[in-house]
Amino acid sequence: MSSRDKILDTVKKNQPEHQELPSLPGEVAPVAAAAEQDLCKKFIATLEAIGGSAYIVSGFTRITSILKEFFPEARRIVSNCPELSAMAETPGHYEDAHTLENTDLAVLRAHFGVAENAACWITEDLMVERALPFIAQHLALIIHKKDIVANMHEAYGRIAEWEKAGGGARIGGEGTSYGFATFIAGPSKTADIEQSLVLGAHGPRSMTVFLLDEEMSDAGFY
Amino acid sequence: MNQHTKDHAALADAFNKDEARVDWHDQTLWFVRQKRDKAAQQVPEWELLRDTASQIKENVLSHLSEYLVRFEEQATRNGITVHWAADAKEHNEIVYAILRQNKVDKMVKSKSMLTEECHLNEFLEEHGIEVVDTDLGERVVQLAGEPPSHIVLPCIHKKKEEIGEIFHEHLGTPKGNADPQFLTHAARLHLREKFLMGKAALTGVNFAIAETGEFVVCTNEGNADMGAHLADVHIACMGIEKLIPERRHLGVFLRLLTRSATGQPITTYSSHFKRPRPGQQMHIVLVDNGRSTHLGRKDFRSSLKCIRCAACFNTCPVYRRSGGHSYHTAVAGPIGSILAPNLDMKKYADLPFASTLCGSCSNVCPVKIDIHEQLYKWRQVLVQEGNAPAAKKAAMKAMTWVLSNPSVYHTAGRAGRWFMMNVPFAVNNGLNPWYKQRDMPEPPKESFGEWYKKNKK
Repeated sequence: MSSRDKILDTVKKNQPEHQELPSLPGEVAPVAAAAEQDLCKKFIATLEAIGGSAYIVSGFTRITSILKEFFPEARRIVSNCPELSAMAETPGHYEDAHTLENTDLAVLRAHFGVAENAACWITEDLMVERALPFIAQHLALIIHKKDIVANMHEAYGRIAEWEKAGGGARIGGEGTSYGFATFIAGPSKTADIEQSLVLGAHGPRSMTVFLLDEEMSDAGFY
Repeated sequence: MNQHTKDHAALADAFNKDEARVDWHDQTLWFVRQKRDKAAQQVPEWELLRDTASQIKENVLSHLSEYLVRFEEQATRNGITVHWAADAKEHNEIVYAILRQNKVDKMVKSKSMLTEECHLNEFLEEHGIEVVDTDLGERVVQLAGEPPSHIVLPCIHKKKEEIGEIFHEHLGTPKGNADPQFLTHAARLHLREKFLMGKAALTGVNFAIAETGEFVVCTNEGNADMGAHLADVHIACMGIEKLIPERRHLGVFLRLLTRSATGQPITTYSSHFKRPRPGQQMHIVLVDNGRSTHLGRKDFRSSLKCIRCAACFNTCPVYRRSGGHSYHTAVAGPIGSILAPNLDMKKYADLPFASTLCGSCSNVCPVKIDIHEQLYKWRQVLVQEGNAPAAKKAAMKAMTWVLSNPSVYHTAGRAGRWFMMNVPFAVNNGLNPWYKQRDMPEPPKESFGEWYKKNKK
């Protein structure tokens, strides 16, 4: 008998009788919908608490000027936003992801953010290469200010909706979903040495999130 | 005597020789426990989440065979190769075979307690494969030639000065530099090189989803992703109990996992691997290694619900003061003490006794495993199966005789009080384990029984 069959046989023999799956928080009594403004505030506060920074911006002109101000040393910038082509490489794909090793800054659009933990959901179609959000020295993500959900239950609801709407179809391959996707919450970090927090373990040393709000005026900033 | 033949008490004794270090270890872990409390208290529905997580895992155990088959189907459809390993040996051989087929002699590895359980590193090194652990804490203990002492904080037993020394020796950092920022940066440069050269990457698995055939890996450092996305071959190894039914259930577990572990709201990266990238191979090894047998032990099966957050380690008064290495098993702490005897009852017979049964572990467990009750139940099983140490057996027998004979009991009580009052050195010495790190109490002049007899009207 193969190991597979042996394992499955023993598991089947030993598994306890049926236990019901519970309903998830928010399914029975929906969590009171928080106002967009509150979610945004919570998101920014959480992101700052985990070592990231956030800017509410009116558009790419503002994003460009902020990036130039805070990353003046960045020589190689890679992005999936054609709006940034003046300052960044914006190809769809690299033959060898290893060549991204000297990327100073990656600027990528993400789908949405989660207020309770400041995580941003990004699927591989928005990453240029899967390695890019991890290999770059600094990472900036762009989401729309209205695309912030309260918690992880809503987050997985959003992902399911996105799939249903064929959101992943442009990735190619079978099915209409991602082959790889991730939640990113803050800069890469470690506290393995005596619980001292150090930002920039293997991945980006900083994480900036731009929250797009077209109705906002840039006047009065800086 | 080598480490494997010593039991928890003897190993804890060695750890306890340096009292200042024990205090430091104790306080550091208690600090992590406090961070956990703060994070949990910020979620009003925390208890509901724990209940829900527990129920989902109960459901998983009750349908594990179906979920495994469904996961295999879905993962295979996604282009992942699924392997099954009955035990540690088969697991190691499968990984080695994949590496050999791809002519790989170097592999980067992110944290996987399963591979520690299977002693994969030693096996691969014997076969000429260089394994580089890429989690900072794991790299530290790997360079030091030690196993991790904690499943989330692998080198929590090491002082920064010791890590500075290890890095000086192996990575050429300046002697005497023990700055965590500096040392982390040195490791970043050293490991980046390894990531760029790695043709194969091995990761653990935090959750695998039967519905979609994808698996989720959580790290703060980003080392699992750096390894997997740069390598031609990605191997993910998981115990069969890591399955969850549907993707939406991740919402519950990802809210609980890191808050319970370190007090963070979530890990920096929660990566969902579903398909290999074009040209890449992705393998999953499903490992049993005693889990299917454990599933049949009614009193102990719920320990398979564990999501490896280590909250029970950080809160445990025994773990905090005895150190992870005293458990002589891959997964230490309270949860390790109820998992290990399942694998080898004789070898790990000491572990269920390494507890005060205070119940703090059960109180913080995000999936509500009744850890302290299982510790207690394991004690009965181990003694019944004849695995208790001889001294303990003799002491228990003597105690039974004393407690079941009232006159013997009263005489023994009087004798005890007399000894403590008149010849205290007879009990205040190293032969009495109760005297270790504590003073014996001042003996009362008479027992309650004697007082009652006198004062009864």
